[in-house]
Amino acid sequence: MSEGDLAVMKPETMKSYIWLQTADGSIQQVEQEVAMFCPMICQEVIQKGVGSSKNHAISLPQRVNPAMFSLILDYCRFHQLPGRSNKERKTYDERFIRMDTKRLCELTSAADSLQLKPLVDLTSCALARIIEGKTPEEIREIFHLPDDLTEEEKLEPLKNTMDDPRIRLLNRLYAKKRKELKERERLKNVEVEEHVDERSVDDLLSFINGRDPKVVKMSKGKKKKKKKKDQKIVSSNDKESRDLHSKQQCVEETGSSMREVPNLPSAEDDISTPKAGSEDEDIDDEIDPAMRELLDREVEDFAQRLNSNWVRSLGQERRPVHFSINGNGTTRRHTGMVSIWLHLYKRFLDIL
Amino acid sequence: MNNLPEDCIAMILSLTTPLDVCRSSAVSRIFRSAADSDDVWNHFLPADFPAGFAAPAGLPTRKQLFFSLVDNPLLLNDTHLSFSLERKSGNKCYMMAARALSIVWGHDPRYWHWISLPNTRFGEVAELIMVWWLEITGKINITLLSDDTLYAAHLVFKWNHSPYGFRQPVEASLVFLADTESTDDVQPSMISLTQDPGCDEAQSPVLRRDGWYEVELGHFFKRRGDMGEIEMSLKETKRPFEKKGLILYGIEIRPMP
Repeated sequence: MSEGDLAVMKPETMKSYIWLQTADGSIQQVEQEVAMFCPMICQEVIQKGVGSSKNHAISLPQRVNPAMFSLILDYCRFHQLPGRSNKERKTYDERFIRMDTKRLCELTSAADSLQLKPLVDLTSCALARIIEGKTPEEIREIFHLPDDLTEEEKLEPLKNTMDDPRIRLLNRLYAKKRKELKERERLKNVEVEEHVDERSVDDLLSFINGRDPKVVKMSKGKKKKKKKKDQKIVSSNDKESRDLHSKQQCVEETGSSMREVPNLPSAEDDISTPKAGSEDEDIDDEIDPAMRELLDREVEDFAQRLNSNWVRSLGQERRPVHFSINGNGTTRRHTGMVSIWLHLYKRFLDIL
Repeated sequence: MNNLPEDCIAMILSLTTPLDVCRSSAVSRIFRSAADSDDVWNHFLPADFPAGFAAPAGLPTRKQLFFSLVDNPLLLNDTHLSFSLERKSGNKCYMMAARALSIVWGHDPRYWHWISLPNTRFGEVAELIMVWWLEITGKINITLLSDDTLYAAHLVFKWNHSPYGFRQPVEASLVFLADTESTDDVQPSMISLTQDPGCDEAQSPVLRRDGWYEVELGHFFKRRGDMGEIEMSLKETKRPFEKKGLILYGIEIRPMP
């Protein structure tokens, strides 16, 4: 109905209108039955008796901007007519919902503030369909959301998302590694006790360079440990490192070799959130021994392929890890290892 | 999206899947908060839990309850049934213990004996010593399952050191005994419990992650309002030689992927 029609029809039909004021201050009048379709407006009229004249216009919530309001009015105008069939309504809705994501969000917000549930459901459903199947980065891009989570916070949900045995194994290894590092730190602290307070910056620097005789013993020890760790990462002799290997390998190769990864076992009772301490010991016990053999064999197969890939990609990560000048060498190494794991998880997350 | 209040976001997320909600917790702070909210996870948890269900202690949020049920099947009190949820959809899954099944000659220690194995969720599994008449039947009330879902029943088993007599396929059937209709004679399908390629059409077993084998006995679609029981059975009574060495864990009923 155009404005002209309205002007002509008004005296004959004696329609009543409700006066509404949008957030920008502009006031308009809307047919009563259309406006009353919104519960919020209905409430205002009935409970407070406003809206009957220009001076007593109902103030709409701030979330309702004029553009959205006119859309909502269209929606109300269509649906408030009782004579429409379900099919008609459905067709209208499907066409109505076709708009860009930004407007969909605004519309949801506006409809929500007006308590117009059917429209909220409709837009929410459309937005849900947009979100489904997207990675977090994609979602952030589509909705222009701030990237305000820390690395660790971003990786935490990974534990629950996939039923993938590799993730579970990664989790277990992660927990194991963490535990080991804590152990090492504890041991180191015992060693460090003699030296820690006396070290000057020079001492530390020369420790790093491995020249200071005072700390030769410790540096050797540290070097050994560092070397051991390197070996753990690079070599394939250690069973654990093999496991480590294969899991990392699995991560590296997710794209191509998803089908190649064996039907790795996961314990019946494996809880995906690794708890500190006691749970770690049970980790490998829960794997059926036959399956563990299978696992080891598969791991050996992958071991060769891993080396160059792993070392190359890890090269950049490792350099800052082992040396720090803040005297808190142990912690830095610790967090360095953790950051390697986080990096791995991140790769996996990108694949989600 | 920046203007949307958290409960709107929660509402939108509850219309997606558990996987999407988990991914959403890595998007931004407000998404994370919405994704972790109880409203969303309540939506994925079943509206009605089976009898004998007791929520495990120490799980304050609904999200934790959801994942606890996904990863750790719960033994239902007073039944030989375990209950869990399917990760992707939150649909209900059950496993009937061997004790919940009716095994012909199962009570007779000459033929079957009941043992406890580690890493199994039930107290006992049944080990077949030797039998000629092999007949295993399980019944489950269909109302226990989630609506509008396609389910499959799997026999979960393994072998002891000396299995015998299972090279040929055996009969398996799955029948819906509806309250309202009478059942016609159902033609059983042939399945193989061994991986020998003896019979090409027969369903053959698959090795599960927990080291047990499983083979599908049949599948069915549960509609809203269906009442009655699903009867699943495995039978080999025609061939005149003995069968030995089967270790029966139970029958698992879960949605088909």
